[in-house]
Amino acid sequence: MVDLSDKTTKAITIGAVALTVVGLGYGIKKAYDRDKVSETSQVVGDATAARPANGALTSPNLEGLELYPTITKGLRTPFDLWRYYGRGVSSFGSPELPMKFEQWVEFHRKQKPELMEDVREYMASRYDFHETPMEGYFMTGGKPIMAGPVARLPGDFESFEKLAECPPDKIRSDDLFPYKPLAHPLQSTAHMLFPRSWIAVHPEHERLDVDMDIPEAYLPEFPPPMFLTTHKELGDISGGREITFDNYYDIFDGLLTPEQMEGLKELLRPTPTTWFNQTSHRITLEPSDGVACFDCHVNGHTNGAVELGPDSRPNMARLRTDTPTMRGNYNLMQLSSKRSIRSMDHFAEVEEYFDGDPGMQQALGPRGAQRQITNRMADFNAILDYPPAPKLSPMMTLYSDKASEAELRGEELFHGKAKCATCHYGPAFVDDYMHDLQVERFYVGRPEGPIKTFPLRGIKDSPPYLHDGRAPTLHDAVEFFNLVLELHLTRSEKDDLVAYLMAL
Amino acid sequence: MSRSEAKAMQPFTMLRISLGIVYFLFGFLKLFPDLSPAEMLAGETLSRVSGQLLSSRDALRVLGAAECAIGVSFLLGIRPKVVFAIFLGHMAGTILPLFVLPELMFKVAPFAPTMHGQYVIKNLIIAAAGWAVLSSMGNATGRMQPSTT
Ligand code: HEC
Ligand code: HEC
Repeated sequence: MVDLSDKTTKAITIGAVALTVVGLGYGIKKAYDRDKVSETSQVVGDATAARPANGALTSPNLEGLELYPTITKGLRTPFDLWRYYGRGVSSFGSPELPMKFEQWVEFHRKQKPELMEDVREYMASRYDFHETPMEGYFMTGGKPIMAGPVARLPGDFESFEKLAECPPDKIRSDDLFPYKPLAHPLQSTAHMLFPRSWIAVHPEHERLDVDMDIPEAYLPEFPPPMFLTTHKELGDISGGREITFDNYYDIFDGLLTPEQMEGLKELLRPTPTTWFNQTSHRITLEPSDGVACFDCHVNGHTNGAVELGPDSRPNMARLRTDTPTMRGNYNLMQLSSKRSIRSMDHFAEVEEYFDGDPGMQQALGPRGAQRQITNRMADFNAILDYPPAPKLSPMMTLYSDKASEAELRGEELFHGKAKCATCHYGPAFVDDYMHDLQVERFYVGRPEGPIKTFPLRGIKDSPPYLHDGRAPTLHDAVEFFNLVLELHLTRSEKDDLVAYLMAL
Repeated sequence: MSRSEAKAMQPFTMLRISLGIVYFLFGFLKLFPDLSPAEMLAGETLSRVSGQLLSSRDALRVLGAAECAIGVSFLLGIRPKVVFAIFLGHMAGTILPLFVLPELMFKVAPFAPTMHGQYVIKNLIIAAAGWAVLSSMGNATGRMQPSTT
């Protein structure tokens, strides 16, 4: 029989093994290439597959990127998801969990504490949330405004001004950019994340899998005041209350038209969403009535709740967005950060599908809002006004006798050296365009592409800033633009700009 | 080696080669994103065990390389010390998902596994077979011989 000491036999064995190994390796490589092209493979369950997009491999944009991990709902996702790319198994979601509901609960009971500890650690590595209020500055309803910048400076830079001296290439290659995107802390399920102040009053929105990652001090006030274009004389119509299904009628009867009243009612009516509903495809312990528009856009403003922009697939490619205010939407021609929605009634209509997936609505509970209803929601939205800005004239310039020196200097910078007015102008300080700020010049990551300019009127009331809230304070937003637009502003110029933004 | 000894070796040789093929095949698959059906399970388990230090993709690279090494060593019928150590670690590691991700492993724990659970539990056989074959093999330089113990 075989004697391995025999030289020829040994050679044959090694040859056979080499052949097997090379054969298998070649076969697998072939299978991989075919799979990439045919896109027929299915990953276990409802997993999000990570496969390079067709042909995209030649694109220079993939440099330094990794394919998304293959995971299923509920599993943890990298906090730096912007470094990943790929395509999903399918554009279409399913209303099924990868396990039984009891196991889902148990799974998250174990995972959540560890996850939240890592989330806190991660956020602390990016920001120093020291919660120091700015002396003399308050949101419209009186909540203190936090001083910044709170983003941590990289390495041994002693100031943002020093950092701003580095060219973009160096900031990118040395990983120095303090304003990289924020991902959802659990992007495999993602969906709506409510602030603690909201959960305290609405425990039905407490999630069993993940909590909000931004400290309360850096979020909008709750409940915020509400102003109506049609009743400016009444000031804050909410009287410090959260407007709810139970009290809206008493507050608004006799002040609104019947259409506005109906619209408001619909904005307050909870409806099932992808993860807040009565099925087991949910992230609440008890079955949920769902979520109302005003659960995030509280009193027509925002409580800073987080969601993913519904405009891309796989879900891991969707950008985190924090809730924008609805105040002054009557002035906007461009709604939502990337979808370029052109009217408020259209928005209410598409918001029908909370995660942009009409296919799941049948299972999770369709809202079925007819067009006339969504039109009325827009009718109410159209009378939500900005908070008062007593220092602003009708031409949107500061009254020189009311504004401070710093604010006036800030105004000049805004229109001059800082170039802000190029994109932020008019009654809402917005150009109603989408701009590609090409922020990926400053970090290795998937380009986020064009994002709509957000209006700056009433801006002090809606931290955190930018679509994903990566700039917790206005100081951070100014530092962001100072770097991205390469403005080389001085410390005191930045302070002046912030003072000006506070007056808008 | 006597004729009867050689004959006694035959089933071991079969077992050794099949183990080699399975280890190498399943290991090599793990080096390609999204090709291995075990990707989620293995990657997720390892990244959890590492306390999230390893991303699941990196964990798969390490695991895939280790399995390829074990596979080749089975195929060649050699047993370098380091590969043997990797094999022992791997054997222990394959049952980790049962503890780390029980919700994906069992329909009803612990006696009614899911398909994933069965995939993991049947590794018991592979582990035992590997153990049998390895102890029948000499070390890196040694010749094949039936286990004497
Ligand atoms: C997570 C809580 C949440 C709920 C509930 C919610 N929204 Fe929003 N809303 C958001 C977020 C986040 C965005 C930003 C989306 C984007 O940038 O793509 C947004 C954007 C908008 C905008 C565009 C604002 C702008 O400045 O571009 C409008 C209008 C709007 N929502 C209306 C609604 C209506 C109507 C409903 C109810 C049908 C609703 N929202 C429910 C979070 C919410
Ligand atoms: C090239 C056009 C452009 C210029 C110039 C510009 N911005 Fe913006 N601004 C944008 C866009 C686009 C966004 C949204 C970016 C995002 O969310 O990622 C934005 C967002 C903001 C926000 C956050 C708004 C919110 O609701 O979160 C602030 C604050 C802001 N800009 C202030 C400034 C200041 C101050 C300057 C001048 C230093 C400036 N911008 C210059 C286009 C511009």
